[in-house]
Amino acid sequence: MPPNCKIHARFGGQPVAESSDPSAALPGVPRRGALAVLAGLLYGALQPVGALAQSSAARDVVPLMKPPLAATGPAASRRGAAVSAARTITWEALVPPGWDPFKDFKDLDFQTLDDGDPRAMQLLKKMREAWDNAPVNAAIVGQTVRLPGFVVPLEDSKDGLKEFLLVPYFGACIHSPPPPANQIVHVLPKVPAKGFRSMDTVWITGTLSTVRTDSYMGAAGYRIEAVDVSPYTDKPR
Amino acid sequence: MKALLHVALRSALNRRGTLALVVLSIALATALLLSLERLRTDIRSSFSQAVSATDLVVGARTGPVQLMLYAVFRVGGATNTISMDSVRAVAAHRAVAWVVPLALGDSHRGYPVLGTTVDYFKHFAWGDKQPLRLAQGRTFDGTLDGLYEAVLGAEVAAQLGYGLGQKIVLSHGLGGGGGLDAEHADKPFTVVGVLERTGTPVDRSVHVSLQAIEAIHLDWGGGAPIPGLQIAPEHARKFDLEPKQVTAALVGLKNRAAVFNVQRFVAQYEAEPLLAVLPGVALDELWAAVGLGERALLAISGLVALVSLASLVAVVLAGLNERRRELAVLRAVGAGPRQVLALLALEGALVTLAGALLGALMAAASVVLAGPWIQQRFGISLIASAPTAEQWALFVAVLAAGMLASLVPGWRAYRLSLADGLSPRT
Repeated sequence: MPPNCKIHARFGGQPVAESSDPSAALPGVPRRGALAVLAGLLYGALQPVGALAQSSAARDVVPLMKPPLAATGPAASRRGAAVSAARTITWEALVPPGWDPFKDFKDLDFQTLDDGDPRAMQLLKKMREAWDNAPVNAAIVGQTVRLPGFVVPLEDSKDGLKEFLLVPYFGACIHSPPPPANQIVHVLPKVPAKGFRSMDTVWITGTLSTVRTDSYMGAAGYRIEAVDVSPYTDKPR
Repeated sequence: MKALLHVALRSALNRRGTLALVVLSIALATALLLSLERLRTDIRSSFSQAVSATDLVVGARTGPVQLMLYAVFRVGGATNTISMDSVRAVAAHRAVAWVVPLALGDSHRGYPVLGTTVDYFKHFAWGDKQPLRLAQGRTFDGTLDGLYEAVLGAEVAAQLGYGLGQKIVLSHGLGGGGGLDAEHADKPFTVVGVLERTGTPVDRSVHVSLQAIEAIHLDWGGGAPIPGLQIAPEHARKFDLEPKQVTAALVGLKNRAAVFNVQRFVAQYEAEPLLAVLPGVALDELWAAVGLGERALLAISGLVALVSLASLVAVVLAGLNERRRELAVLRAVGAGPRQVLALLALEGALVTLAGALLGALMAAASVVLAGPWIQQRFGISLIASAPTAEQWALFVAVLAAGMLASLVPGWRAYRLSLADGLSPRT
């Protein structure tokens, strides 16, 4: 039988409309529809694989732009409402306006002092003591704020980070002097934050409170029970 | 569609020998991918569960990861000890709430022995701030009367079949010598308590008091008993049994935000080179270091999966030659080229599905079978729980790749003409 003989028959209960099919005249042309569907399926299926590769790929380079955690559902919309109600602040806002740890050292010239000079060590010690007792900014306590920073994990669990510290600069725990007491925030997320590692950049949203401990850090330290913890993006809100 | 499925199944059953081998190869590749992912997740969660509510781990100045490995996970040996004076200085810091010193170095039949204070049982937490609980008996009380008392971890008691009142003898060194270990045979210990299972390295440890560690080493020097010097167990009590050197110390703070200040204090402590690490940060460093190896393993497993899918394509393509008559008959009864393509694609998809499901079952079975051995040997608990999101992603990826791969023979069959099939030129 010649190859392009038209056959009208039933197969699987459905008439095979081969004769009216324009692409049947050219047997080599693929059916765009079927292939498009399969391509779409493949794309959809490989998205999680891409996410997996991305999540386990170099996290130590620039953080990837990911959409914030707020998605669908009543909890997420409440969270979304809280996030949008929060005021975005910077770390300077956590410092009370009049605080100047360097006011005692204004008359000294740091350029002339050697790093190993005992006077420099003494100054450093005094400066650190001043930083340890850095007061909180009473004006901002109790406000709902949104603050970016770096994560220092304290309590990790299967469900995610349950407690961590937020610090203003990278490597705060390693080689630079520790930040002053009013530049460290103790964060307790309401929902454990999954997928964050040491020195990841995040946005924290929550209400600032203080912890009054009469032992160390004569001033109180900041604490936030974070409503939202999301990866850092550059987009201002 | 149902008829197509029926035809595909019957056709595949006809060639079940070869296709069964293909299913097996896909199953093995899927099992490899899924097991690797499960192992990766469980190792991470096992490590991060090992210590909780501890702000700093203080030890000799090595590196954060190494300090965590030998002090908390009892993997590897300590590079150096720290003096008890340094531990007391850290405890005297105004931000520190509690300090628990740890002394490692002895073992019992391969299980590490930990010398510590009674505060260990009060302050140590694992998992989600869970305290240590006793399954049987009590802890040692730290007095000289109860000098030679030991508390076992759950794994030690279960594997060695020990109960309360059992007499055990500690060996010097980290064990694994298989009988050649020098034993502290003159000072046997009595088991007074067994801890509940935690799924952490605590299960594999034998806990004794610091004073007991000092006592058993009184007449030892340089790793061996001093010849001619024999101190009986009851006489050892009369000596000064305060420890001078320990391996590491766990530190808890009054205010967790003060952790950097105490860490800085320890790092700049002048009397001795010390290191203080935050457990969470040190573990993240460990994962960053092994992350490259994990990705390499994942890539290799992905390649294995691709190889098995290529074998699927090869088998079906090779079989197309014999099926020309079958396909021509189908064309003759009215199947269009689309249906033939769909038939071949469906067959490939079914084979992939069968292989992937079998692979998932094999991965789950391997967790159930190998889990107890890995738990006992390495202290890592493999949890036979529901598949994680990453495992689902890998499973779907294998399926999708299989479906795509089976389009290749389908396309080939699509191109075969009707005449070619009905009058094959062989």
